[in-house]
Amino acid sequence: MSVSLSAQHVVKRYGGVVALADGNLDVQSGEVVALLGANGSGKSTLSKIITGVVAPNEGQLRLDGHPVSFKSPSEARRHGIAAVYQELSLIPDMTVMENIWLTHEPISLGRVNRREMRQRTRALLELFAGTYGEALSPDAIVKSLPPDERQIVEIVKALSSEPRLIILDEATASLDSQQVTRLFELIADWKTRDMAVIFVSHRMEEIFRIADRATVLRNGYSVGTRPISETNGRELVELMIEGATQPDARERAPVPADAHVRLRVTNLSAGPLRDVSFSLRDGELLGLGGLQGQGQSELLLALFGAMPSTGTITLSGETVHFRHPRQAMKHEIAFVPGDRASEGLLLSRSILENLHLPSWHKYGIPLRMKQARASAQANAEELRLVAESLDAPVSSLSGGNAQKVVIGKWLLRDPKLLLLNDPTKGVDVGAKAEFYGLLTELRKSGAAILFYSSDDDELLGLCDRVLVFHDGQLSAELQGDQVNRTNLVAASMGSLHAQAD
Amino acid sequence: MNAIKRLAQVNPPLLALLLAIILFFAGGLINPNFVNTNQAVNIVRLAAFLGIIAAGQTLVIISGNEGIDLSVGGVVTLAAILVYRISGGDNALLLPALAIALGAGALIGAINGLGVIAIGIPPLVMTLGMAGVIQGTILVVTQGQLIGATPPIMASAISEPLLLGIPGVIIIWILLSLIMWLVLERTTYGKNLFAIGVNRTTARLSGVRVPLVVVATYALSGMLSAFGGFVLLGFTRTVFLNLGQPYLFPSIAAVVVGGTVLAGGKGSYFGTMSGALVLTLIQSLLTAAQLQEAFQLMVLGVILLALLSIYGRQRKLRQ
Amino acid sequence: MPPDQTASLSKPEASPARFDLRRFLNQNPFLFALLLLIVAVAINWYLQPNLFELRSLNRNLRSFLPAIILAIGQTIVIVGGGVDLSVGAIVSLVNAILVTMLTPESSSEQIALAIIVAGAAGLIAGLINGLSVAYLRLQPIVTTYATSFLFAGAALLILPRPGGEIPEWMEDLYRSTPGDIPFVLFVIVILALIWLLIRSTRFSQYLYASGGKAEAAYTTGVPVNRIRMTSYILAGLFAALAALAYTVFTGSGNPRSGDDLTLPSIVAVVLGGTRLSGGQGGAIGTIFGVIILGIIRNIISFANIDSWWQTLVNALIIIAALAGPGLIRLLRGGKTSV
Repeated sequence: MSVSLSAQHVVKRYGGVVALADGNLDVQSGEVVALLGANGSGKSTLSKIITGVVAPNEGQLRLDGHPVSFKSPSEARRHGIAAVYQELSLIPDMTVMENIWLTHEPISLGRVNRREMRQRTRALLELFAGTYGEALSPDAIVKSLPPDERQIVEIVKALSSEPRLIILDEATASLDSQQVTRLFELIADWKTRDMAVIFVSHRMEEIFRIADRATVLRNGYSVGTRPISETNGRELVELMIEGATQPDARERAPVPADAHVRLRVTNLSAGPLRDVSFSLRDGELLGLGGLQGQGQSELLLALFGAMPSTGTITLSGETVHFRHPRQAMKHEIAFVPGDRASEGLLLSRSILENLHLPSWHKYGIPLRMKQARASAQANAEELRLVAESLDAPVSSLSGGNAQKVVIGKWLLRDPKLLLLNDPTKGVDVGAKAEFYGLLTELRKSGAAILFYSSDDDELLGLCDRVLVFHDGQLSAELQGDQVNRTNLVAASMGSLHAQAD
Repeated sequence: MNAIKRLAQVNPPLLALLLAIILFFAGGLINPNFVNTNQAVNIVRLAAFLGIIAAGQTLVIISGNEGIDLSVGGVVTLAAILVYRISGGDNALLLPALAIALGAGALIGAINGLGVIAIGIPPLVMTLGMAGVIQGTILVVTQGQLIGATPPIMASAISEPLLLGIPGVIIIWILLSLIMWLVLERTTYGKNLFAIGVNRTTARLSGVRVPLVVVATYALSGMLSAFGGFVLLGFTRTVFLNLGQPYLFPSIAAVVVGGTVLAGGKGSYFGTMSGALVLTLIQSLLTAAQLQEAFQLMVLGVILLALLSIYGRQRKLRQ
Repeated sequence: MPPDQTASLSKPEASPARFDLRRFLNQNPFLFALLLLIVAVAINWYLQPNLFELRSLNRNLRSFLPAIILAIGQTIVIVGGGVDLSVGAIVSLVNAILVTMLTPESSSEQIALAIIVAGAAGLIAGLINGLSVAYLRLQPIVTTYATSFLFAGAALLILPRPGGEIPEWMEDLYRSTPGDIPFVLFVIVILALIWLLIRSTRFSQYLYASGGKAEAAYTTGVPVNRIRMTSYILAGLFAALAALAYTVFTGSGNPRSGDDLTLPSIVAVVLGGTRLSGGQGGAIGTIFGVIILGIIRNIISFANIDSWWQTLVNALIIIAALAGPGLIRLLRGGKTSV
């Protein structure tokens, strides 16, 4: 039952782009190896190579000392390797049990034994008993479940093949703390049963709770492995980012109390968001904090008219009710969505077309292309966009440059209110620093900014005021000296209560 | 082969055009009389009808989300019948008749668009059902009696040499291609059309009114098909109930052979034009080769498959 | 959690604790089609009181059967995420093969041979489609449109003009009513059972997974390409069976017999509640869909509708039926995806 896996000098290229330049990783029975790295460092590529989803260009995988090369995920699974993916591998229209047992359904007399499948599914879900709602049952359709329960199904699905090695790729991202705790109890149990675990996470705290060793990737290279007991968060972060640029407190200039109130929100509810009220002044950078999925995205979507909401939204004194983003845009609002590829960009179209998508109507009929190109060029230069030409497809850009296009398309419209949904996710360090500079400039020019970030350090470094969300509600409003890590974490867990302003 | 594939990726319309030229001269091998100016003009003229009818199809396919218009054949027939009947052969009534035909086409298309975007009927079956409605309407209105006539001025403008010995329909086609290029590349509508074809969420979050663009696209497709029917009438000078139907699937094939992706968001009208030329040439070659119908069909099937395997490959699952 | 949840956990063989209507509708997307079918049959019955008499029942079912078989094959392809525009041409081809190989005096060995060849032709046709779509990764709509020329040409080559005869006993069997139940009704029931059997196999899990979300299915280890190819092969085999039914129904051959069968097969699938983009639905709904289309034609011919109006009325009813589920959603204030 014992297992050892070793990835040696694994390389993966997509066309000219190197996703993984030199991936090395060792893991053995009874241990949890954390795989760390900034977004785009090659973590996901490495774990997909181990599970046979992606074919490496070079390098070697050794399982129990023998070289292996998996032609497909099912082959990897036959060797006892299973994975819980970040982007879910569930089929939305199928039931929970059909998903869990897909490709290894219990068969009797050539037919799928649904009764046994249901039984075994119940037994597996028992592992998480008490941490999920009543909707999660073997016969529930997966698309009707909330994200955390889908994640549980995903974990259970990986377990159903009784793997020797399990890869958890950001498996905790959408779980609540109770579910995370349960997962960690399970991991501890797996270790005693000679299983090996590769744990991919962004959350340092979790890594120190569960991992035995940490392997760090940077820009596609494995740059080091440390026993958890002999390292600390600072060392790992330095390995990850090399010359760390964390925003310092210099940006946290409070806005004058008499600044124009750009936005006032009263009792806003939308999706999981309930009864949120706050206001935002011109020149202010208001942070939105809390764990992921606590209603921050819905707040931004509702303000942009992209999601139905109840409550009152007042813009510079005028009460508005947007039913389409177009109306919000007319009120000089801009929105940078959380998922660049699926919400912010037209990947196969050119940079030029992406930059002008919200603004083409300004250029008449027929479109004055020279003028459009010139303004896009100026915009690209201002943002220091690195690209072959404006006609290159956005899909050819790196994460940071692609995000510049998303932001650039709004800057071309001179917005007065910016709604930013985790804008630095998957953006490299250099581009982040440039982005912080840009935020400062925008504030100076009087723009009001609502800024959600999944990176607490950004909120701490940039914002003078932070609204912390927990379970769809405002759990705290931190201001000035209150903006510190202790308060932020406490409020994220719902244990610090809203302070009156 | 690799060079061909690269060209197919970089510039599908150009590859299709090259193919058309090669096919034309290949025709000379089958039949030495095939290669001459008259024949070339004739083929371009035949391709023009298909090309004009496929213009609307190009837009609908670019709009993505399984966008396809199976009602173009019906609209072509309907428009021809409307012009034939309303004008009654009177030159003076030509323009009003054309306007009514275009209006009818746009209305039909708009209903298609609403069915697709507001009610959520898949485009394939929505437009197929609409084709039935059009055919039924034609039967109800005409009761099988196709009375009317083609205005002489229209027939001569379309069928006879108009400028420098070039038939009118070719000139119309060239003008249409310029308009199509302008619409696709130089209007907000065109940019929004490509945007909704690539990613409707991004488009909406960038302020594009997606339903409006979809309805407008199907309406334009209906209008362009109606125009195709008008032009076709100028060629046939008579109408029959099955006038447009033979152009339906070739219009889709022309779009695809021209490098426009059925998944949407990518393509051009020049591609469709090249595709129409290629398809027409293949048909002419098969006719010139004097094969019996069974072999003609089979060879056409194989050639189409071969063309599709150069273009239109979908993404691999394993990267 | 409902109070009895723990109880059901301790004895897991118990059925789900309570009936969930929404889930039931989600898992049985043919319910709207069933409703439509009941309404259509009721209207038909009202207009044609002898509808359920053996003679007219048998006449109707006999004419529906080839379309039902064909549409079941189409359902399999559509659920798997494709579409097959060549099924009609395969019917033409197999029909041509059958009448060419059969004479009124054919022995049972000759008949068996003809059926085997017919099945092989359907299989090869499906294989060509499947290889092109799954392994050459060509777009299904245009690919099967292209192969339809290939099959239609082959049909014309084998049988240049309509004609041919088959053993009379085959025709008699097709129309027979053993025990006062139409023979074809048995066939339809068997087809439904075959579908339920397919639905209980691992293959069908793979099929729905591939059509529902191909990347996720692949990541899980489903052999997506092989499943897609198999779906086209099955469609080819079902088309061959449909051609057999068509041949014994008409008793002769026509190289263009399948021309008008393809598109209605897709409409029937969609009417039956199967999602055209794949991953959801099933053949039970498709059987209802085909019968609905046939009943609509019946109603129109018995309602004394002026013959010039029949095509229009037919098309309008079909559009209304297609719009039904969407309209209901719209009226109930459901949101659209964009």
